[in-house]
This record gives sequence, C-alpha cells and structure tokens, in this order.
Amino acid sequence: MSKEAIRVLVTGAAGQIGYALVPMVARGIMLGPDQPVILHMLDIPPAAEALNGVKMELVDAAFPILKGVVATTDVVEACTGVNVAVMVGGFPRKEGMERKDVMSKNVSIYKAQASALEKHAAPNCKVTTHQLHGFLLRFICLIGSNSYFAIRSQVVVVANPANTNALILKEYAPSIPEKNITCLTRLDHNRALGQISERLKLQVSDVKNVIIWGNHSSTQYPDVNHATVKTSSGEKPVRQLVADDTWLNSEFITTVQQRGAAIIKARKFSSALSAASSACDHIRNWVLGTPEGTWVSMGVYSDGSYNVPKGLIYSFPVTCKNGEWSIVQGLSIDEFSRKKLDLTAQELSEEKTLAYSCLS
Amino acid sequence: MDYLALMEKPLVVLGCVYLSWKIIRNIWSFANIEKEPITVLVTGAAGQIGYALVPMIAKGAMLGPDQPVIIHMLDIEPAAEALNGVKMELIDAAFPLLKGIVATTDVVEACKDVDIAVMVGGFPRKEGMERKDVMAKNVSIYKVQASALEEHASPDCKVLVIANPANTNALILKEFAPSIPHKNITCLTRLDHNRALGQISEKLYVHVSDVKNVIIWGNHSSSQYPDVNHATVSTCNGQKSVRELVGDDKWLNTEFITTVQQRGAAIIKARKLSSALSAASSACDHIRDWVLGTPKGTWVSMGVYSDGSYGISPGLIYSFPVTCEKGEWSIVQGLKIDEFSREKMDSTAKELIEEKSLAYSCLN
Repeated sequence: MSKEAIRVLVTGAAGQIGYALVPMVARGIMLGPDQPVILHMLDIPPAAEALNGVKMELVDAAFPILKGVVATTDVVEACTGVNVAVMVGGFPRKEGMERKDVMSKNVSIYKAQASALEKHAAPNCKVTTHQLHGFLLRFICLIGSNSYFAIRSQVVVVANPANTNALILKEYAPSIPEKNITCLTRLDHNRALGQISERLKLQVSDVKNVIIWGNHSSTQYPDVNHATVKTSSGEKPVRQLVADDTWLNSEFITTVQQRGAAIIKARKFSSALSAASSACDHIRNWVLGTPEGTWVSMGVYSDGSYNVPKGLIYSFPVTCKNGEWSIVQGLSIDEFSRKKLDLTAQELSEEKTLAYSCLS
Repeated sequence: MDYLALMEKPLVVLGCVYLSWKIIRNIWSFANIEKEPITVLVTGAAGQIGYALVPMIAKGAMLGPDQPVIIHMLDIEPAAEALNGVKMELIDAAFPLLKGIVATTDVVEACKDVDIAVMVGGFPRKEGMERKDVMAKNVSIYKVQASALEEHASPDCKVLVIANPANTNALILKEFAPSIPHKNITCLTRLDHNRALGQISEKLYVHVSDVKNVIIWGNHSSSQYPDVNHATVSTCNGQKSVRELVGDDKWLNTEFITTVQQRGAAIIKARKLSSALSAASSACDHIRDWVLGTPKGTWVSMGVYSDGSYGISPGLIYSFPVTCEKGEWSIVQGLKIDEFSREKMDSTAKELIEEKSLAYSCLN
C-alpha cells in the first residue's frame, strides 16, 4: 500500500536553490524513494511566471512519486497542510545596504511567515531555515512526519541570516514546538567532510563526525576533534591521520568558513547544487534518523548545552531518531575550541539584539 | 561426571550452530562488496543542464542508489572557472556514491575510460545565425568528440546526445566513430515523451505514473510526432486506452500535439531560460531504463539508429518506441500506424533527411 503523501513547502522556489531542490524532493532524495510528496512552491509576484515555469517543468519530468504541485504567490495557500517547510526565500544583502537594513527586512518577512505557518501548516510542521541569497523569504514547510502518529511539523530555514531568521520564526510562531525549527549548517558540515577527504585523499563517505558549531556565517567553527576516518584497521581520529594541527586550526577552518565566497568567485553564482543537496540531507536525517555511531550538524534551539547561551539557534552536533534530534552530549571541548564556540555565540547574541531592535 | 556427559551433546550442537552462523555472516558480508564504479561523462557540464544533471547522477538517480559513479565533466576554456566551481560544489555536497570527479577542458582526458557519455555541450543558435551556420559549428564539434570517444572511452560506451540538433549531432557522432556500435549512439526524446505523459495526466486528472506507452516519433524538433494511439491509463478496471478516456480526438490530433512539440519554447517564455530540470531528469530516465531495463509492458521513446522499421529510411537517428533489456534497446514492432500518423512520421523523417544532407554539405 502506498504511503500518505507528505507536503513539502519550498519558499523562494523560483530561485537557484529552489530549482536545484525541487527535483531532488520530487525524486525522493529528501524523504526516501517510496515516500510520495506534494510540492508547495511559494515566491513573490515578480517571480510568478518563472515559478509557473518551474511547475511546468515538474509536470514535464513525469516524476512517479510527485503527487501534486502547488505554485503560488499566496503565503496562506502555500502553507496550508504543509508538513515540512524549507525556507529558502529571503532578502539578499545589496550593495550599500547596512547590516541593520538587511536584518530589518528579513525580520519582517520571517515574522509574517511565522504567523502563516503557525496558522495553516499541518500540526507537525518542521521548519528549516537556510540562508539563501535570492528572493524574499519563502516559507518552506517540510513536515517530516512519516507515521500517523507524527506530532510535530518540521521547518528548515535556509535564507540568511539563517540562525536569526529561524529565531524570529520561532518567536512569532509560539505554537510550533521550538525543537521543530532549525536552520541549515549541514552544508558547512558536508564542506568540512569534503575538505578532510580531499586532504587525506579518501572517499568522503569514510569521513564522519566533524562538527559545525554556532552561526552559519564566517564565525562558524568547523571542529574535527571528534571526527574519524574509516580505515582498514578501524576508525582513526582525523587529527591523527592529518597530522598537521597548524593546517587544521587555521587554513582548514577558514576554507570551510569562506567556501561560499569561493563558490561565488568561481561560478559567479552562489552555491545552489550543494545547498539543495545538504538541505535534503538535513531533512532526511532528521526524519529518517542518523546512522548508528554518526552525528550531523544542525542549527537548533540551544538548551544551554556546552555552555552555549540558551535561546539562540546554534549549530550543534546532533543524532536523530524517531523524527527528533538530540544534541550529542559529553564531548570534550579544549581551550582553542572553547574560544571559537564562544565567539560565534557572541555574534549570534548580537544578531539577536539587532533583530529585536528592528522589531521595536 | 554424568552432568558433564549430558551437557556434551547440546554444547557440540551449540558450537556448530555458532560456527555456521559465523560462516554465513562472513559469506554474506563478502557478497556485499561495493560495486565497481561506472564512469559517466557530461559535456557542457558548466551549463544549466549540466548543473542540474550532475547532482542527479551523484545521488544515484541515473544508475541506481547502490551504483557508485565517477563523473567526468568537460567544457570549453572560457567556462573553466565555472566548471571548477561545479567540481567544488560536488565535493562540498559529500555524495556517498561519488567516487571521483574529473573537471577538464581537455576532450581526451574527459573521454578516458568513460562508460556512459551524455553530450550536453553544443553550439546554441544565436540571433542572426542561419541554420547552416549552427549546423556547421555543431558538426565540427561532434566530429572531434566522436574521435575522442572512439579512441579513449570504454569499448561498450553508451552515448546519449542532448545538444540540438540532437538527432543529427548523434548521426555525425556515429559517422565519425565507426568502431562504436551504432546501437550505442542515441539521442534524447525522453523529455518529449515525459512531456506527453504529463499533458495526458493533466487532461485526465490522473497521476502521471498511471499513464504509459505514448510514443514520440522522429526528430527532437517541432516536427516530432507525439502519438497516443497505443497509450494506456491504469484504472481500477485495468488498462484503458488514452484515446477512449480523453474522448476528444480533435484535441489529441491538434492542440495536444502542438503543446508537446512547442513545450520547450513555453518553458523559455516562462523561465527566460530553457528547460534544465526536466531535461536533466529525462536524461537520467533515458540512461536508467537503457541500462537497467524497462518495466514489463512498458516502452519508452529513444532516438536510435533506424533499421527501416515502420518504413522509416535506415541510416537516420529517429525516435522510436523501444523496450530495454540487459543493456540493449529494441524497437517495439507490430504497432498499427493509421494514415494520420503515417503522414506525421514521414514528415519528421523528411526533415531528418534534409538535416542529414545539410550536415554533410558542411563537412565538405
């Protein structure tokens, strides 16, 4: 018997990341090859025709598990019945704009979308925010409930500033459980895995358990202290195999932190392919669980773990089971890491203050 | 002592069971060795279709979720930096199936040991260009790539040409790579096939996976003939003919046909860019069905080397209904062709013959 279709909302769907993301969702890469999906795509009126073009292409591709497509500029229609939300849409920073201006625009967008989600999404809406340099915020609601007993909808925020947009969303959608609102740092996590695999000339699937701490910005801290590599003689620590602490503590970190800019320089466009793929990984692991012995990085609501201030959306190492994430506890944090963890927390606290000042 | 004697038998049995279990486990894990990676070439990889296609390949959408792949990406020198950006993103995405990436502007390096070649790169028609000019440019590109593939790719390399004029580019490729079996050179009409399925499903308000066996005949151009005479829909009362369920022959013989023929232009009008998402997805479908086989009772459309079936001149790359098994396609034979269809099929064949002449004239 075929499963009940899951409604996945992608905001900013007419943009680059949306265009890369929707075929992945329609092919079952996000929720599994036998999980039927209904795509909701939201964008702003200026992009309505392009959005319709994307809908036409989805029809043209004859995807077997795609059971419906809603392409709309109406946020209520977009959010109705949605189970999983991927918020790719946001206001990009333009030349001459102050940080406060960008923050202010995004804060009002996410405040509005929070209300729509809260009112119209399915009760179990998971939200993820991901930073997107593109259109206005779109609510992408992904509800990752695969069972009839799903109790929460799931949201992923992708649009930048992802962590703070997610926080605003949380504040203005109080009836969405705070653990259902996340932001994307999986891209940075995957980038870190990629850099280690290139350095060690190994398959990326043999590297695991890096951590991205903090803000999805240039203060993020890519931490390999607990990362391991699968070798013929078992799991070995990355630090031991790389045997170059200088590189790991400087160049490796800045490469991962600034990878986004490097992609823009090469492509003249920001990362869409890898962002979309990582968004699928984020949701898939959240909904279907992480493999035994492996954790991933997700921007989640801080509960004070690792002395990170409560009340921030901060990237932690998490494992996922039964549709829920939990922060991996008990990892030792050395002095070098402690400084980095605190620095990115500080930036997030400042962003939070700035965001709130925009709302007053 | 007695106690021990009593325990002896059960212990021996337990010991044997345990050993057997270990042996079986060992054999099982031995049998689960990862497959050898398949090398897939994408030309024009820095472009739109390439950007949509490579993550699909890397995620197993083309060859299956347990088939490791190595991706070779080729583009021209001006696109080298952008191509490297795509390579960087493929690394950043940490795809478990992706076992290697080659990003190059050197056609020899790109073609080395390639098992599957998807030719997306080609010269687009620009404003003011005559058809002959576009044809001339593409003919020379495909002549060069034919030689490289012939010399450096795997002997059984399967080729899919997407760049327009797809059928004729594929024909040129075939002519200049004579040692590649002509059954291994195809062009993409699966996009049109899928578009036709989509249009029928929208008309009937059914799910696209319940519609099958449309046919795209001929050239991947506006002379293609989308034929529903043998298409069926899965209903609770079994398979029903599309023509019967639609109940509107006029629509099927006019608007439906032109909608599918001109869908590409409609996408460009809406998006301001040509179809990349659906083209990439259809390319994956084409290769996947070719390599892994079509489902029972279902055929698909592929541009293949004509053997004279259905009265179509041999020696053209013409889209036919095909089934695939064990890595080979075969044209579905014995389908009835009515007068209306005959005319359309001949019309698109005529266009292909003209294109072939034009192409050959460019070579002289």
